Amino acid sequence: MASVMKVLSKPLTPEEREKAFKSSKKVEVLARQRLPVRYHVEDFDVEDRPRRFLEAFASILKHTNYRLALDHYIRVTTRCARCAVACPIYDATHDPHDIPCYRSELLLSIYRRHFTVSGVLRARLLGDPGLTDEKIQELADSYYNCTACRRCHFECPMGIDHALITHLGRYILSEIGIAPRALVVSTREQLTGATGNTSAIPVPALIDTLEFLTEDIQDEKGIHVPFPVDQEGAEYIFFTAVSDYMMEAETLKGIAAVMKATGGSWTIGTGYYDGINYGLFYSDQVMEHALQKMQVEAKRLGAKKILMGECGHASRTAKYFYPTYCGGKDALPVISILEYTQQALKEGRIKLDPSIVTERVTYHDPCNFSRTGWIVNQPREVLKAFCADYEEMAPNGRSNLCCGGGGGTVSIDEVRPYRTTVSGRLKAEQIRRTGAHYCVAPCANCKKQLRELVEDQGVECEILGLHDLIYKAIILPPDPKPEEELDETAGGSVKLSKGGES
Amino acid sequence: MTAWIDFARGPLFRLCFALMVLGLLRIVLITLLGVKEAYQRSSDKIVSWKEIRRQTIGWLFPVARFWRERPIYSLFSFLFHVGMIVTPLFLASHVLLWRNSVGFGWPALPQEVANWLALLVIVTGTGIFLGRVLHSGARELSKFQDFVWPLLIMTPFITGYIASNAVISPRAYQQMMLIHIYSGDLILLMIPFTRLAHCALAPLSQLVTGIAWKFPAGSGDRVAETLGFADRPTWVPKARLATAPDAAQPDTKGESRK
Repeated sequence: MASVMKVLSKPLTPEEREKAFKSSKKVEVLARQRLPVRYHVEDFDVEDRPRRFLEAFASILKHTNYRLALDHYIRVTTRCARCAVACPIYDATHDPHDIPCYRSELLLSIYRRHFTVSGVLRARLLGDPGLTDEKIQELADSYYNCTACRRCHFECPMGIDHALITHLGRYILSEIGIAPRALVVSTREQLTGATGNTSAIPVPALIDTLEFLTEDIQDEKGIHVPFPVDQEGAEYIFFTAVSDYMMEAETLKGIAAVMKATGGSWTIGTGYYDGINYGLFYSDQVMEHALQKMQVEAKRLGAKKILMGECGHASRTAKYFYPTYCGGKDALPVISILEYTQQALKEGRIKLDPSIVTERVTYHDPCNFSRTGWIVNQPREVLKAFCADYEEMAPNGRSNLCCGGGGGTVSIDEVRPYRTTVSGRLKAEQIRRTGAHYCVAPCANCKKQLRELVEDQGVECEILGLHDLIYKAIILPPDPKPEEELDETAGGSVKLSKGGES
Repeated sequence: MTAWIDFARGPLFRLCFALMVLGLLRIVLITLLGVKEAYQRSSDKIVSWKEIRRQTIGWLFPVARFWRERPIYSLFSFLFHVGMIVTPLFLASHVLLWRNSVGFGWPALPQEVANWLALLVIVTGTGIFLGRVLHSGARELSKFQDFVWPLLIMTPFITGYIASNAVISPRAYQQMMLIHIYSGDLILLMIPFTRLAHCALAPLSQLVTGIAWKFPAGSGDRVAETLGFADRPTWVPKARLATAPDAAQPDTKGESRK
């Protein structure tokens, strides 16, 4: 792997560097916020930032479990820089400030200085002034340069999880009003707005879209494939990145086709239909509230399982934090559509035509799926079942490279030059090397980022979701007569226990 | 000088050793209690113990992991650690010293092997020191103490090797032993208070990280409340649902994740 990264990396030219790190802020915004970070921050009280930062830090330490990790990390960190070689950002910039360990050290040093006895004593002795505005600026810049892809975690011999530190750092910053405007505006609409979702899609528009998609499938495949809405007692309640309803028609059609072919009982709730949870990227409170909205909707419709669409961060948040905030071991099980489809394929309940997709296909592992080892082989099994020319990227699977838009940065349009020249640099080369015509990325964020990436870097490759390809190749059973339909819906449901083990 | 040496390898050694053991016990205990407390605070008790165990064991014997990143540095680092732990523990004269002082002992390595191991520590120690100095990233990252540690740790090995192998005058021998024993005592004493504590804490890292990702329910609201943002507009559930379990079917409990 080391060799792969060495071959791929090309140094950043000075022009690229300047473009990538240029602040897009207007002068008056800069004057008001007094913080030249590249992404915009919300207008907020700018006075006394260090004190408010420490207050927020103290409050978070009091109510959460982060102190355990911080205490441990400051005792074991050896700063060996082994993580540097694992970091795609450092590989592009070769700036020591982009080494994951350096990034973590920014926050760990604040913790050591202000929240440990020895740190406070040492500061007294040496006359250390403590946290300054400059340090907060560096922190704010650094923590949104990181895409929170967690690749470095595997390379740290001391087991330090730099992404946890990034998560905490961003949380503290958000509590003093420093957070990307794009994320804050979206979650405000999601949590307090009239539409209740991040893309502000009202229910009538959603219904229109779904009807349109059904008609579309009827035209293309000649079969009626419904998108069930508000069906009480359905087995699965479906959440996906709400932007999919605007941008990823093919993915949704593929998912509906799979559900139709397997006879799965599923529904989309009009009370809440957004899987996106930007809280994972900057605020535990937002994360909890968004998940609770999901819980309320699942309860309203009496769903038994939560089915997540093609979205990495949404699926990870639901899978790993739904139990945290919504009932522990009694919480509803969460499964991904990727698991569902693979399981159905294994059981022979969907049929895919291997003669449709003849172009070379490659698969991009969304970090939030693969890093924990949750979804690595499932989509590959599906792809290999009907794509003759399948090519792996290197590295792949659990140690894949981030698309460059992780950690919510993909939603920040101001940082597009950074994403496509710095954080996605290796990914572009990786895709180019496979020579693939299709790059499958089953994640709304990855798709958006990769499309911008191949456009800016001039890579000839079409980015799509797994179910886009499935939709092309799926053989749907002809519409049954009304009396047969009943039998079919009663018969087919995925056995979850098998899906969970795979 | 003999009196100084005897003092250092007698009472001073016993003191430093005891402080090391107690100090390490203390921080290990603190960490484990922290893990327990964090686990109890979080409502999510689904922890992938298997993954934690796998990663922990993987890092204790990281042979398969060298080749991924910085292979030479990683290999050197591993050999350095092996030599550093094995040599002092199984050196014949150390075992003898222990036996005379405490009353029991254990089998020792042949002197020949111990010599090679000491050399290995010196060579790999120099290697990882150079690795830190020459790798631009590591150099920028490191603080003063990071450069000093490998040198300090190599001191007892270098002096010990010279004392037991080189043909030197009795006076020089005693000087070497003096440095050897005092630097050894110093290292033992410093272990629990510095990052050398990773000798006991590193095996707990994966556990700590795994549990630290388990957030307590309602913590976000409590943080906001403490900071005076309780009335910050957000989505407010009709009833506090965080603690109320879902109406889950009995046969689906906990099946999504093992």
